Amino acid sequence: MFPTPIEKSTSGKQWAYKLALPIALFFWLLPLLAIFMTSIRPASDIAVGNVFGFPSSFQLFQNYGEVFAKTNALQYLINTLLIAVPSMVLSVGLACLTGYALAIYRFKWALPLFFLFVAGNFVPFQILMLPVVDISVKMEIINTVPGLVLFHAAFQTGFCTLFMRNFIKALPYELIESARLEGVGEFKIFWYLVLPLVKPAIAALCVLIFTFIWNDFFWATVLLQEDSSLPITVGVRTLNGEFVQQWHLVSAASLLAAMPPVLMFFLMQKHFIAGLTLGATKG
Amino acid sequence: MATTEFDSHDRFATSSTQVAIAGIILATCLFILYFVVNTAMVQELLGYTQRMHARVPTFFVRLVVVIIAIGAALYLVTGLSVYKRNKVEWAPWLFLALGLGLFMIYVIIPIFQSMSYSFTKWDGLYDIDGNWTGEWVGLHNYKILLDDPNFYTSLKNNILWLVLYMLAVPIGLFIALFLNQTVRGIRIYKSLFFFPFVISQVVVGLIFTWAYNPEFGLLSEFWSWFFCETKENIMGNLTRVCSVDPPSILGNEHTATYGIIAAGLWPQIAYCMILYLTGLNNVSPDQIEAGQLDGAKGWKMLWYVVLPQLKPATFIAVVVTVIGALRSFDMIATMTQGGPFGSTNVLAYYMYDQAVGEGVGRYGYGSAIATVLFLIMLVYISYFLWRMYQDEKEAK
Repeated sequence: MFPTPIEKSTSGKQWAYKLALPIALFFWLLPLLAIFMTSIRPASDIAVGNVFGFPSSFQLFQNYGEVFAKTNALQYLINTLLIAVPSMVLSVGLACLTGYALAIYRFKWALPLFFLFVAGNFVPFQILMLPVVDISVKMEIINTVPGLVLFHAAFQTGFCTLFMRNFIKALPYELIESARLEGVGEFKIFWYLVLPLVKPAIAALCVLIFTFIWNDFFWATVLLQEDSSLPITVGVRTLNGEFVQQWHLVSAASLLAAMPPVLMFFLMQKHFIAGLTLGATKG
Repeated sequence: MATTEFDSHDRFATSSTQVAIAGIILATCLFILYFVVNTAMVQELLGYTQRMHARVPTFFVRLVVVIIAIGAALYLVTGLSVYKRNKVEWAPWLFLALGLGLFMIYVIIPIFQSMSYSFTKWDGLYDIDGNWTGEWVGLHNYKILLDDPNFYTSLKNNILWLVLYMLAVPIGLFIALFLNQTVRGIRIYKSLFFFPFVISQVVVGLIFTWAYNPEFGLLSEFWSWFFCETKENIMGNLTRVCSVDPPSILGNEHTATYGIIAAGLWPQIAYCMILYLTGLNNVSPDQIEAGQLDGAKGWKMLWYVVLPQLKPATFIAVVVTVIGALRSFDMIATMTQGGPFGSTNVLAYYMYDQAVGEGVGRYGYGSAIATVLFLIMLVYISYFLWRMYQDEKEAK
């Protein structure tokens, strides 16, 4: 039990702990492991009930190849990138500006506006759904990727502003004040002084927002209809209907959809966790 | 003396070149915007009517022009004497303009629009002249809502989600405590435990749909260890014979919701775990030692010494869990689509189903459901904001 460090306990306990770790991990990730095993075995295995045993043959490339050959999976993946990357750039960029405004300037609207961003960030999607569809129809951007990008960018600006504002608020205020006394313009202070200092926050936000948007399902179903512009999350759902009972293909497609955020997480782990755990330590 | 006066005068004067350049750009943009909106006219002018795939390109042109126009407008304002005199008062609004504008249009105003839709009967369409086709019905939608058994099922399920989803907080804490050691490779263990959170909820839904499958899922496999044996049938093939058939969790209206919640807990526990792991990193060793000197051990240590220090982490974990529970949609859409017999509906999914799913098109009724969901969420949002406000006051 916490907080006894394991090095201080008996060697028996230490061994037990080291043994318990992989076992616990195995059970924790069992659904994922099982689905991976399914994705590399032939359909015949599943038919005869060999779901967990050793695959009768390894079909890693055949199964994943079949997903790409039989479906628009590649198109779906590209679409997701086309949605996620511009939305990420837009929302993080806008949030740098808004976050800076709300953190540095001491005007009486600063706190209410900040709370507006925070509150908007937490509302249920359903209350936004119909008006957003309506706006998109009026602007003639419904069923288009830019239409979805614009919405994502606007919505994620809420979370990004929360993050950015708190990050910039923690910077030493004297820095900005002295620059102002030197006669440096407001935008120049932002561009040359603050922006280089918030690079870690930008990195954390980019990783996080990319993952959020990559995993978005709801807004893509609501705002996109044409098969050629769907992202992978919606695509995989559709495949599930097409490949009835072909679980080796469904699982391969699911893992494909999960791959990029997982890679992103492993490559940028530090930033990712810094972003998620914002506020979990202060106070 | 004279030069300083001149300088100070100059510093605040409108810089006419800047304003002129920005003004010309802005005017051009507005001019283009006006014409590009009339796409047909431009196409006729250029002599081609059908070749252009009109919608997306015009949208992009418009977007680019709008961005340039906003940039020019901001540049224009910064050249004005009145801006220069009140720089510190005006600058925040210039920084806020774009982000706040977009956020207002897409998030804040729609909340009120949805609420107003909930007093109407509308199918989302406009007539040929662009007039709204709905009608005002007052509280009618809310009256129907009170007699709708599906609404009560959804509400009950929402409460179930809220209560059971909260298990993610203690379980996450438990796993965090378990992993909070320093042995070789612990970092990799921590990130692997966090894994489920990174995966899309749709994929988690599919994984668990498969795991619950009574014929060849993960659960049926465990089931067969206890209740089944493999026999050779008359044809000489191996078949599985079970004394009790494996349950179809998602096919049974009494268990389906629990099945989905269990699936949803998997990533949520991972999220809470990472929050607590970060919190534990910052627990002060001095206080732990002091606790040890006072004879605190095990549960007592956890409850009286460690948990109070984890308060910020607990707060965030509770907030994200509540919001996650009330936002549950993806899993239901992938795993059951509200079925069997509407038993797994939650407000979020039921609203979607009524408004756009199945081609129902009940915008007014859907908005009424969304408004109820929003009001429930508003309780938590207000509490969260109130807590943030207290923190801000302390910081000052």
